[in-house]
Amino acid sequence: MAFDAEKEISKLWRNLHIAQGEIGRTWFRWREAALDIAGPDANPLEISLKAAEVTGREIGKALLPRLNWLKGEEAWLMNLANNLANQWINHGAIVKVEKMGNPFEVFIKWERCPWPTFAKEYGVKMQEDLLGCDRILQSILSDVNIFFNVNYKIETLKAIPRGEGMCLRRLYKV
Amino acid sequence: MAKLLFEWDYSSYPGAKKYPHLFKPIQIGNLIIPNRIKYAATEENLNSHDGFITDAGVAYLRERAKGVVGGICTMQGVYMDKNRQGQGYVGQAAAWDDKFIPGLKRLADAIHAERALAGCQLMHCGRVGAVDVQYCQGPSAVPQRLRIFRPVQEMTKEDIKQCIREHAEATRRALEAGFDIIEISGIVGYLLSNFISPYTNRRTDEYGGDIRGRMRFGVELIQEVKKLCGKDVPLGIRLCAEELLEDVRGSKPEESMITYQIAEEAGIDFISVTAGWQESIVPVISRDVPMGSWLHLAKRAKEHVKVPTSMAYRLFKPDLPNKAIGEGHLDIWEMCRPMIADPQMPKKVLEGREEDIRHCVACNLCLARLFRDAPMTCYINPICAHESDPKYASPPPAEEKKNIMIVGAGPAGLECAYMAARRGHEVHVYEKRKEIGGTIIEASKAPYGDEELFNCINYQKAQCEKVGVTFHLGKEATEELIKNEMPDSVVLATGPVYSKIRGKGFDRENVVNTLDVLSDKAKVGERVVVWGNRKPGIGVALYLAKQKKKVTIVGKDKSAGFDINPSFKWRYMIYLAQNGVTVYNDCDIEEVGDGEVMIKTYDGYRFPVKCDNVIVTEREANDTLKNAIQKEGIELFIIGDALVPRNLSSAVHDGYRIGIRI
Repeated sequence: MAFDAEKEISKLWRNLHIAQGEIGRTWFRWREAALDIAGPDANPLEISLKAAEVTGREIGKALLPRLNWLKGEEAWLMNLANNLANQWINHGAIVKVEKMGNPFEVFIKWERCPWPTFAKEYGVKMQEDLLGCDRILQSILSDVNIFFNVNYKIETLKAIPRGEGMCLRRLYKV
Repeated sequence: MAKLLFEWDYSSYPGAKKYPHLFKPIQIGNLIIPNRIKYAATEENLNSHDGFITDAGVAYLRERAKGVVGGICTMQGVYMDKNRQGQGYVGQAAAWDDKFIPGLKRLADAIHAERALAGCQLMHCGRVGAVDVQYCQGPSAVPQRLRIFRPVQEMTKEDIKQCIREHAEATRRALEAGFDIIEISGIVGYLLSNFISPYTNRRTDEYGGDIRGRMRFGVELIQEVKKLCGKDVPLGIRLCAEELLEDVRGSKPEESMITYQIAEEAGIDFISVTAGWQESIVPVISRDVPMGSWLHLAKRAKEHVKVPTSMAYRLFKPDLPNKAIGEGHLDIWEMCRPMIADPQMPKKVLEGREEDIRHCVACNLCLARLFRDAPMTCYINPICAHESDPKYASPPPAEEKKNIMIVGAGPAGLECAYMAARRGHEVHVYEKRKEIGGTIIEASKAPYGDEELFNCINYQKAQCEKVGVTFHLGKEATEELIKNEMPDSVVLATGPVYSKIRGKGFDRENVVNTLDVLSDKAKVGERVVVWGNRKPGIGVALYLAKQKKKVTIVGKDKSAGFDINPSFKWRYMIYLAQNGVTVYNDCDIEEVGDGEVMIKTYDGYRFPVKCDNVIVTEREANDTLKNAIQKEGIELFIIGDALVPRNLSSAVHDGYRIGIRI
């Protein structure tokens, strides 16, 4: 039975990258459409952050059935952090989740992210890209916090859009 | 002085001797119930969308009232608010205005006409409500885990007081309509359960906090409704003995027992013991949960309260509740789905006709339909929700007696044979195997409760025998046989033919049929690929995975279990994962080789999977004898999987529909 694994994997890999590219461009195509309809007086940042909020809320809702408290809060937190990281990994980012000493604190590190590149391609300011990611993450946490009756926050310590080489965010219990 | 509304004497019935604890009276409050049987409140979506009772709803409930032989028959829960936030089902009955009293009276009268006791349930659906409005209500605005439900609005204190007033007003209307018993629903995610659970109640006022605070709404509700019920009308409540919400920090089991004690202190006359929420990740009532699994909760409840208790939840056969009542763990046998499948079930138990019971297969299709705004349907009972149509529910005798040949003694053929013979036809069933049951013989070998599927065949066999169907077992219906017999009509119920893999190697010896595997006629190796990702494929995959084989399912549907209703499908997905079964959806087998198969995805990727055997579960319609029969000019019907491969339910419903019109 003839089978060329390299050929099949390379085809699959190529198509995955094409799909990731389409995800990024679709976001900015919709942004352009929204700005056109909103008119010249609209604030692009405001529109973009609203879209980020809607996106984050939707992702947060989708996370509710996947998160489980049965293995305790530490395991729950790692599960949450990994789910957040996976959102970006699926788009082509390299993201790692690391724990330090505090059991209720994790660090999420974006070593590479395709979103600033997409933003540049469409002439979008880096500040909008950074604040958009922040808003998505905060909006995800909003429903998750209420649902599990906890209070977790996420803060940005370093950011690729600011030229700091990586995005580093701290997810912690307040 | 205790009151007995209807006299019943069960002493001469065989069921009363066999199950003595089920057919002895019990006093609830000041009311004597002649037996220990209760039809549990069940939504059926048969009422008008603005909450008025319909003929279909009345006929549905009257059949169940007949079935409880003097016991309690509870109507579906009514919603009580004009703005419809408490309404959880499109066809749910309403009681928010006096204009609904005549409809409610029709239900109470229908129950009384069968000399049963009429129960009315008050059901504000809380966070699973608001079927037709934008927001539902709850103690706190906790987001929904299941997207099917509406966003929650936190109730103000005035909302809470208003809600209690609405319960009281609805009680007055139910009493004016003639109901004998009132029941408050506090289960599965409805409003009262939302107040009780810390998962959904985050309030910091007097309606939140510890279990007594969270139960305060319940206490005020009970006290207000009890005022109207007085001493003569028993007031019951359905409460969770375990919420099964540990993963989202719901109430602890010991807290649930405190709610039972608080309800008793507040004036409740009986408690229906329940388990789980719609949002629980633990299976509670599906076929994979063995019968009687929840009786320990009934026992626990009896240890905490003095008022009578009832329980439904997988008590599908009378010996279980009879034993539990005898041992003092339970007082009343409650039923919902068993009496959807067979409204006369307890009556048949009493009359010693257990072979005539059409047993529920715990598939939850009835519930799945309700959540999709459709009228109730039963997987196994074609008459369900058609009780008001006499031509369908009790078809008249055939105008012209025919000689009917039915080919195949599976569920479709048997159902058709029974109905046709009952209507006066002469019916002959030809089956090439030496036993009846068709592919259900093999399907019932699959794990997680599928042996219960064969109860359908046992029922159909008994009915066929009673109406004089002639069986020709071990005799294959051929063109020649049909020509010789020349029946007036032929019904092809042969079951499906199994598909051939449209690739190289489909005729290799290691490609075997699922029926041969499930009947142990074909031995398979340690690594198998199952071709087909619908229920037959999932069933055989789990059967083999339980034997520790490495199983891979390959199927063309985008997701596995396309033919399983959503209320059960999620269980199968978990079982596949737990048993290490790999599933490749959106895929087909391109080639069967020696020790491996080549899989091709819908978009053209290829990859090999090692396997010793390929098991075929993909099916196609079977029209083998169709042309020959039509050539002879004989009336022809094709039913069940022979027409379109589907499931047991479609087979039974097809058989019934042709059986009543042939």
